[in-house]
Amino acid sequence: MSTFMKLGSAMVTVCQPVSLLFMIAGVAIGIVFGSIPGLSAAMAVALMLPLTFSMEAGLGMNTLVAVYIGGISGGLISAILLNMPGTASSIATTFDGYPMAQKGEAMRALGIGIVFSFLGSIFSFLILSFFAPTLADVALKFTPVENFGICFFALTMVAVLSSGRMVKGLLAGLLGLVFAMVGMAPIDGTPRFIFGNTELMAGFNQLSTLIGIFAVADILKSAESMSAKGVQTIPVAKVKGFGFSMKEFVSWIPGALRAAIIGTGIGILPGIGGSTSGMLSYVTAKNMSKHPETFGTGEPEGIVATEAANNATIGGAMIPLLVLGIPGDGVTAMMLGGFLIHGLSAGPLLFVKNADVVYGIFAACMVCGLIMLVVEWTCIKGFVQVLKVPRHILLPLILVLCAVGAYATNNRVFDAQAIVLFGVIGYLYHKFGLATTPFVLCFLVGNMTETYLRRGIMSYKSFGAFFTRPIFDFFWFVAVAVLIWSVFKEVRGTRSREPAE
Amino acid sequence: MFIKKYGDIIVGGVFAVLGIALIAAARMLPKSQVMEIGPDFMPTVAGTLILVLSVILLVQAVRGLRKNPDGAYERDESDYRRVILSLILILLYVFLLKPVGFILCTLVYLFCQIYVLAPDSSRTRKDIPVYLITDVIFTLIVYYLFRLGFKIVLPTGILPF
Repeated sequence: MSTFMKLGSAMVTVCQPVSLLFMIAGVAIGIVFGSIPGLSAAMAVALMLPLTFSMEAGLGMNTLVAVYIGGISGGLISAILLNMPGTASSIATTFDGYPMAQKGEAMRALGIGIVFSFLGSIFSFLILSFFAPTLADVALKFTPVENFGICFFALTMVAVLSSGRMVKGLLAGLLGLVFAMVGMAPIDGTPRFIFGNTELMAGFNQLSTLIGIFAVADILKSAESMSAKGVQTIPVAKVKGFGFSMKEFVSWIPGALRAAIIGTGIGILPGIGGSTSGMLSYVTAKNMSKHPETFGTGEPEGIVATEAANNATIGGAMIPLLVLGIPGDGVTAMMLGGFLIHGLSAGPLLFVKNADVVYGIFAACMVCGLIMLVVEWTCIKGFVQVLKVPRHILLPLILVLCAVGAYATNNRVFDAQAIVLFGVIGYLYHKFGLATTPFVLCFLVGNMTETYLRRGIMSYKSFGAFFTRPIFDFFWFVAVAVLIWSVFKEVRGTRSREPAE
Repeated sequence: MFIKKYGDIIVGGVFAVLGIALIAAARMLPKSQVMEIGPDFMPTVAGTLILVLSVILLVQAVRGLRKNPDGAYERDESDYRRVILSLILILLYVFLLKPVGFILCTLVYLFCQIYVLAPDSSRTRKDIPVYLITDVIFTLIVYYLFRLGFKIVLPTGILPF
C-alpha cells in the first residue's frame, strides 16, 4: 500500500506545470535524436545533462528520463518511414514497418508502433515501481555464464528465423558473426582480421553496420528499377484513430505482453540491451505465430512485438541502475552520471535516503510514456509528409543523413565509410536471395556471446562447469531443443517437397 | 537470369572459401596460455560451420541444377547502370568527406545522386532547379542542425567553416 501512496504523491509533484513543461521538451528532443540514425538516446542524455545542473535534483532527473524515453521511442519513426533504424533498438521495426509503409499503411504502422511503445513502457514501469528490489536480486544471480546462455539462445533463433531455406539462412547469419569478430578480441585484446588497419581495431560500429545494410542497400536496390517505374511516391492511406480496430488490438495483447516481458527481462540484465531484446522478441513472435510466413511482409504483429519489447527494456534497465547502481548500457551510464551530479548515489541506499526522488522517477517514467504517446500521435500527420517526396529525391537525402549520423556516433569518418561496405553486402544479399535478419541478429549478439563465454570459462575453468548453473541449463537445453526441432522440421519439409517435383 | 540460376552455387562457393580462410586465419592467431579457449576459438567454430553449410548448399544447388537444367528463369531487368553509378557516387562521397569537407561534398553529391536516380522522365530542364534548391537547402539545414543543435562539428575540409 505504501508504494501506491508514495507513487501517488510523486505523481502530484511530477505533474506540476514546470516539470511537465520540461518533460514535454525532453521527450520531444529525445524523439528528434532517436529518429536520426547516429544520434542515440545516450547522446541526447549527454547533451541534456549540463542543462539540468541548475535544476533541482528531482526535476533534473525527470527531464533526463524524458529524454531517454523519447530517444528510444523515436527510432520507430525513421524505421517505418525510411527503412533506416534511428536507434539500434528499432532494427526489427523495419522488418515489418517498412513493408507496411510501402503498401500505403504508414500511418497505421506508426499508430501501432506508438501505442505499443507506450504499453510496453508502462508495463515495464509498473514492474519497476513495484518489484524493483526483488528483481535486482535476480539480476545479481546472472553471471557471465547465464548471459552466455541467453546469447547462445538468441543465436540459435537464426535457425528458426530462416526455416524453409535454413542452410542459406544460417550462412547469412554466420557472415554477421564473422563481421562481429573483426577488431580486438574480448578479454585479451588480440587484434583479429584487421589487415593492418588501425581503424578496425575497435571493430565495426553497430549503428553504421545497420544503417548500411538497411538504408544504403535500399538506395542500390531502388536504383535498379528507377527507370522502369517512373516517378514514385508512396501512397499514404488515411486512418481513423490509431489505425486499428478494437478487435485487432485485443488479438495482439498476448503477443504484446510476451514482448513486454521479454523486453523487461532483457533490460534487467546489464549489458545485453534494447537492440537484442527487440530482435529476440520479434523472432519469438514469428516463431509462436500461426502464420510465420507473413512476418517480414508487413505484419502488424511484428511491429507490436518489437516496439513493446524495446520500450519495456527502459523500465528493465532502470532496475539495476536504481537499485544496484549498475548501468547496463551507454544511456543508463549517462543517467548514473546525472545522479552523481545531483549528489545522489544510485544503489540500495537511494531507496532509503532519497525515496522521494526514486518515486519521482517512477512517476516521471509513466507520465513521460503518456507524453510520448501524445506528442508522437499529434505529429504523425507531419511525419508521413516525408513520404510525399519522390523517392529519387528522398533516398539521396537519407544517404547523407546516414553518412553524417554514422560519422557523428564516434566522430570517425571511417564509420561513414563502413556504411558503404555494409550497403554493398546488403545489396548482394538481396541479389542472391539471402536474408538480412540473421546477419543483423548474429552481428549484434556475436561479440557478446564470445565475451560472456570466455569470461565464464575464466571464472569456472571449464565449459562443463557451466552446467551446474540451473538458469544456464534452462537456456542451453531450450536452445538445443529448438535447434533440433527446426532441423527436423526442415529435413521433413524438403523430403515432402521432393516427391512432388 | 545468371544470378537466379547459379546464385546458390556462387553463394556456396564464396562462403566455402570464406570458411577455409577463417580457419586458416584462426590458426595463425595466438593460442591462449591460460584458458581452454583463446581468441582463435570463435573464428574456428564459425569457419567450420560456414565450410560445412556451404558444402551442403553446393550439393543442394548442383542437384537442383541437374534435375532442372534449363528451367524457366525470369529475366533480370535490373538497371545496373544506375546501381553502379550510385555506388561510385556514394564511395566518392564518403571518401572525400574528410579531405574536401561536408558542405562541398554534400552539395555536389546530392545533386549528382538525385540526377542519377531520377527516372528519365524527370530529368527535364524544369526538374533541375528543383533538385538544386533541395540540394542547397538540405545541406545547409543538416550542417547547422548538427553544428548548432547537436554540437557536432562536421568535417570542414578545404572551406574555412
